Amino acid sequence: MTPGGFFGRALLVDVDGGEATGDAFELSERVLRSYLGGVGLGTWLLHRLAPPRVDPLAPEAPLAFVFSSLVGTPLTTSAKFAVVAKSPLTGLLTDALASSQFAIAGKLTGHDAIVIRGRADELSVLLIDGDGVRLEPAPELAGLPAAEAETSAKSRFGRNWRTAAIGPAGERQVRYATISHDGRHAGRGGLGAVLGAKNIKAVLVRATTKVSVADQAGVLAAARDLRRRSFGPATAKYRELGTLANLLAFNAVSTLPTRNFTAATFEGAPQLAAEELHELRGVARNSCASCSIGCEHIYSRKGGGSQRMEYENVFALGPLCGVSDPDDVFAASARCDELGIDTISAGGTIAWAMECVERGLIDEPWLRFGDGAAVLRALDAIGTRSPGLGELLARGSRRAAEVVGHDSIDFAPQVKGLELPGYEPRSLQSMALGLAVNARGADHNRSGAYEADLSGELDRLDGGAAHVAAAVGTEDRAAVMDSMILCKFLRGVFDDPFTDWARLLALVTGWTLDAGELRDTARRIVRAKRAFNLREGATAADDTLPARMLETPLELGSGRSAVLDAGRLGSMIAGYYAARGLDEEGRIPAAGLDDLLLDA
Amino acid sequence: MQTAAGVVLAGGRSTRMGKPKAWLEWHGSTLLYRTAAVLARTVGGPVVVVAAPGQELPPLPSGVTVAEDPVEGLGPMQGLAVGLAAVADRAETAFACSTDLPFLHPAYIRCVLRGLSPGTDMALPVARGFRQPLAAGYRTALAGLIADLLAEGDLRPGMLFKHCQVAQLSDEQLLADTAVMRHDPTLESVVNVNTPEEYAAARDRLPPEIVVECFGALARNGGHRPRGVRAATLGAAAAAVGLELDRHVVAAINGDQVTRDESLPLVVGDTVAFLSADAGG
Repeated sequence: MTPGGFFGRALLVDVDGGEATGDAFELSERVLRSYLGGVGLGTWLLHRLAPPRVDPLAPEAPLAFVFSSLVGTPLTTSAKFAVVAKSPLTGLLTDALASSQFAIAGKLTGHDAIVIRGRADELSVLLIDGDGVRLEPAPELAGLPAAEAETSAKSRFGRNWRTAAIGPAGERQVRYATISHDGRHAGRGGLGAVLGAKNIKAVLVRATTKVSVADQAGVLAAARDLRRRSFGPATAKYRELGTLANLLAFNAVSTLPTRNFTAATFEGAPQLAAEELHELRGVARNSCASCSIGCEHIYSRKGGGSQRMEYENVFALGPLCGVSDPDDVFAASARCDELGIDTISAGGTIAWAMECVERGLIDEPWLRFGDGAAVLRALDAIGTRSPGLGELLARGSRRAAEVVGHDSIDFAPQVKGLELPGYEPRSLQSMALGLAVNARGADHNRSGAYEADLSGELDRLDGGAAHVAAAVGTEDRAAVMDSMILCKFLRGVFDDPFTDWARLLALVTGWTLDAGELRDTARRIVRAKRAFNLREGATAADDTLPARMLETPLELGSGRSAVLDAGRLGSMIAGYYAARGLDEEGRIPAAGLDDLLLDA
Repeated sequence: MQTAAGVVLAGGRSTRMGKPKAWLEWHGSTLLYRTAAVLARTVGGPVVVVAAPGQELPPLPSGVTVAEDPVEGLGPMQGLAVGLAAVADRAETAFACSTDLPFLHPAYIRCVLRGLSPGTDMALPVARGFRQPLAAGYRTALAGLIADLLAEGDLRPGMLFKHCQVAQLSDEQLLADTAVMRHDPTLESVVNVNTPEEYAAARDRLPPEIVVECFGALARNGGHRPRGVRAATLGAAAAAVGLELDRHVVAAINGDQVTRDESLPLVVGDTVAFLSADAGG
């Protein structure tokens, strides 16, 4: 019997040629219970459907939109979905989460996941509803930003369709292109390039069915309780100032990456701070679909218009590039949205290029730290993959450093090819481990170990056993939240997270499960991600940080230095491998593969 | 890279004070807590408190350890030998001091430790008219030499100076350090309290002037802008701006360690940042 909240099947869509075909792919209760949905189920689907060592931009490489049992319930923040594929940026597993009505409509096509393979003959849109799938040529959408493509598609096909679309960068297969919907983005790892490689400009879904949960009254009561708790102090930061509140705080604790990680404090930080901008420019607050937190903060732009700003895009396009004028950063963020590229990878790659210019390794003298106009010019070059600089930077910093040489890889701000988020590893050493070992690459959402560093409960400058435990713990919690799926901004409202989550899942699915089973599930999902990467050629050598982080101490405002050398990081990685039951080379023993259900 | 440790000698008899100096109240905690915590927030390496045999100590800051002196009554050189030996495997140098320095400032400690240049075994301040071996810098490798001297019956600090390379630091040299000049211009770091009257006078002083900044959800109504307050501890600083160091609030001093330790001592010139404990995301 299909558990509550699920349909027990995925839709496999093949867009090869001029027509789309759709086939049901059964998802057994055992698989659903073992992987929950979202990122977990997406990882399992990649194992089953991606040919080993497939080129991420090849037609046969699958791209999966994955939902979960919670999608469509009244539980706050549950209108989320995961997009999972092999990343053209890292060559490994990537998964991105986003929130929008697309999640609900996509699931209510009657599927727990939609997997797209093949390559359309011409730029097209893919439509999916309860009646099946169809491909429609859409040459008129070529070159449009995702938001305009969404508007245009709705006007052509009807307002009851929900859309996920790519911008021009995705069409041109920039390796860190995004997939967007309702102004939200599945941002990291180049998922937009994967969709672009399939010649699909947009995926449209329309709800045509319903799904029932095991205990409707229980779910409603839990939803009311969760909503009430979502208004408490644990979410105050997101509600009152949004994620941009991190910027000034991180600057104060020397963990705001600046000028390509050459410093961790930025003299221009106050100009970009949420605390200042909120007073001067704050115009609105917004929520994702089905969310009661409302973390989006919208700021007015000089000369008209407005822009949603988050910590990560401000860090990457501001301090990381040495830019302090908020209007320059607003403009750069807007340009990333128009082009459809990941702001973190864009900012990181441009900052690396700026340092290359300083060192005489790239002959583009206009590309200087602190020049907001130069950032915009570089973004345009990337989005159009213009010959020379644009083509180079569209590859991401790791591939670009391989072209430029001269040890520029040592200061390319990436792990496994994914550019680092706005957390300085040397002054956040639990996070340093999390960034080094995570399957997706340098990532703050799949490993939120900064929580431990900023908790005051361990020495953030002296990584050791406690930091390993913290990194493992946050990775486990993220694996469950990203699979069941709930927004991580809710994480602080759960006093006993695994128990609370098990209770929610039980109400929706009807399963009798407890915290212990959910902890096992977390470990299974983390292990499945690593298993996929190992299958695709990853080794222990990929679990590291850029040489700059391991060779150059970081001066703190206090006068002390933050030092993270290869020995300390290696010791933490060894501890992580041991905690995860891996061998010394980070490989999974045969027994550890048994419960991954890779043959199920 | 050279790592520095901290050594606090707590085993003195406190004869003139009439009660153990380690237990003297200091802004909600104790004088020993303050001294050990000032060292812990300044040096990068371990901090050890040397106690007399069987001596009962007040609570210490997290991470600070205790080394018990196996022999009672041999004076500070014996305690110094025990303390340096206790940290020698983890640090090349150490700042060693007595418990009773209520105005010890991190700038002074750093300045003294910088005096341990290559080839120098001891950085000996000669401040406010006196040699200050109990507010001085030492190579931890001196532990063996001091033990040998003690075994020969030589218990005076002055004898050590004859057997190792000593760099004396005068008032002028100490004050040439801009941070010392700015935050401790009269070198009160070396002022100790030996009598109840001296303790009372020290305790009656106004707490140090510090700067507080609040961030994120803690910074309502322009509260993120720096403001000056007087506070001897982190808890007092939080109270001064209407905050409590609960599960949602942490603090960082001068951009360094993140903490919730309400007893953490503050010194003149500190900047305290209060931030949401759930920073990030």
